[in-house]
Amino acid sequence: MPHVEDPSTLIQPGRVHRRVYTDPDIFEMEMERLFGRAWLFVGHTSQVPNPGDYFSTELARQPVVMTRDRDGKVHVLFNRCTHRGAKLVNDRCGHATRLNCLYHGWSFESDGTLAAVPIPDACASGFRKEDFNLARVPRVQEYRGFVFASLAKQGPSFEDQIGPMKGNIDDLVDRAPDGALAFDMGQHRYGYNGNWKLQIENVLDSYHVPFGHASTVNKDGVQFARREGDKDGAKVVEAKNENKTTTSWRDRKSYVTGNGHGWTSNTILDEGKRSSPAFDEYKKALVEKVGAERAEQILTPRLHNSLIYPNVSIMGLNIHVRVIKPVAVDRTEVTVYPVRLLGAPDAMNFGNLRLLNVTHSAASFVQTDDVESFVRSQKGLRSLATDWVDISRELGAEEPDRTQNALRGSAVGEMAMRAQYKAWVGYMSEVAQ
Amino acid sequence: MNTMVQKPMSAGASPTRESMELFLIHEAKLLDERRFRAWMELFAEDGAYWVPASAYQESPFNHTSLFYDDRSLMKTRVDRLEHPRIHIQTPPSRTAHIVSNTLIEEADEAKGEVLVSSSMMMVEYRDENQRLFAGRQYHRLRRVDGHYKIVLKRVNLINCDSVFDAMAVPI
Repeated sequence: MPHVEDPSTLIQPGRVHRRVYTDPDIFEMEMERLFGRAWLFVGHTSQVPNPGDYFSTELARQPVVMTRDRDGKVHVLFNRCTHRGAKLVNDRCGHATRLNCLYHGWSFESDGTLAAVPIPDACASGFRKEDFNLARVPRVQEYRGFVFASLAKQGPSFEDQIGPMKGNIDDLVDRAPDGALAFDMGQHRYGYNGNWKLQIENVLDSYHVPFGHASTVNKDGVQFARREGDKDGAKVVEAKNENKTTTSWRDRKSYVTGNGHGWTSNTILDEGKRSSPAFDEYKKALVEKVGAERAEQILTPRLHNSLIYPNVSIMGLNIHVRVIKPVAVDRTEVTVYPVRLLGAPDAMNFGNLRLLNVTHSAASFVQTDDVESFVRSQKGLRSLATDWVDISRELGAEEPDRTQNALRGSAVGEMAMRAQYKAWVGYMSEVAQ
Repeated sequence: MNTMVQKPMSAGASPTRESMELFLIHEAKLLDERRFRAWMELFAEDGAYWVPASAYQESPFNHTSLFYDDRSLMKTRVDRLEHPRIHIQTPPSRTAHIVSNTLIEEADEAKGEVLVSSSMMMVEYRDENQRLFAGRQYHRLRRVDGHYKIVLKRVNLINCDSVFDAMAVPI
């Protein structure tokens, strides 16, 4: 473990030390104490729909594979042969009766059990196959298809850590007339030369939108339409002054629940005018499944972005699920999954997909300007002249919201970032078990 | 800006490989000169620009794409590329598009349509970084009022499913 003095000294009320973004030793400590302990989003069960299917990814930079065994149970295993350590599954996803190591041919069942070792009579005396099953990620839990895992054997329970955000998962999943999602429409993958926390701060930052995304706003101060059935997006700046944020944008709220999680309230759009053949057909399908009253609740937007700290966000505007993967202190990769609403007409799912291409692909209109901000932040933070990064907006102005069981603040304040760093200090102050 | 631009071939006779190459060279030059609005005008009103995000992708309708712009999204893209506060183009990209190995795949005289494939490379330089995109592209062209218009431009990048740092300009 690299030497880092007490990391809690890097966080002060309303400000964080630049080293949390730039110091490689802090990053190593984050991988061990934060990503090594927190409940992390791994993937969705629909990525392994059938027995023998696998999906490989990384948790805290470590290769893991999510599999579905013969009995239909989902496992999260370390993607490393127990013999000499070769990465077992090399492609992102696929199907195999057994997982075979390329190097010496060891083969494993999809539940991780070692099935066979070639030339077994040369095994050392006392060699026991059961000692060489694939290592399992210690704790795995699923909620409505969302698979989370913790690399630590002990620690806060899934209910304690992720429980308060179940409603945010429900908000997305309930939009499907059949009440379930499928992650089967590919993904967008983008990377940037900057720290991972720049991305998770950004998803709950409404302050930046009129400036960071100026290029997506027309001369009337209105953003392009991002949802199927909308003619226009949100009005974010005044028509006569491109630097003046509109009252409707400024009045949005953000919420935090502890553990670093939070969300921002919905973008204000003219819901009554939302209509297109695809959207109308979708609405009809939803009403048929859940009834008019419930459909109305589901279609009344409540959330813009939700962050399930530390590695996944869910967007309620142009819907998707985004996974943040730290690679190095100054390198981050992000995967954005479109979600197929099961029971919705194909035209509606395509409408969502089509707009996600232009909001969150590596070549999109929205995300690219965010990425430029992250890269520019990482460059600016090389400056040694100032140690502190300011996150003090609306400091002390948050108030309890009992109906939401959360703290509420202005969406153009920085309460959500302060909440993330409070959780950060909690993780970083304890050694992983 | 260089005004000595090769005009898109005027169509009347059967498409020849040379005439198709001139069209592709003209398109590449518009992109390199950042004349994005003129580039957009090469597309038919029902035309689309597609860069799949996976190899052998069958459809843009059930899978993510790096780009899948109809004329309406293309216009939003071009408006943004011309916006003074597009941060990912501050400074702007400089590109060199190279088109080669051109083949006429199909020609339908009756419909006035032709499918042309070519190998492409785009070298992009921006903000101290240079990178390379390469692949094979397919242009489906339709004769409209004596000129060819793009019905579908599909670019199959060899690394289409990799992680990309932000991209702003069309390939």
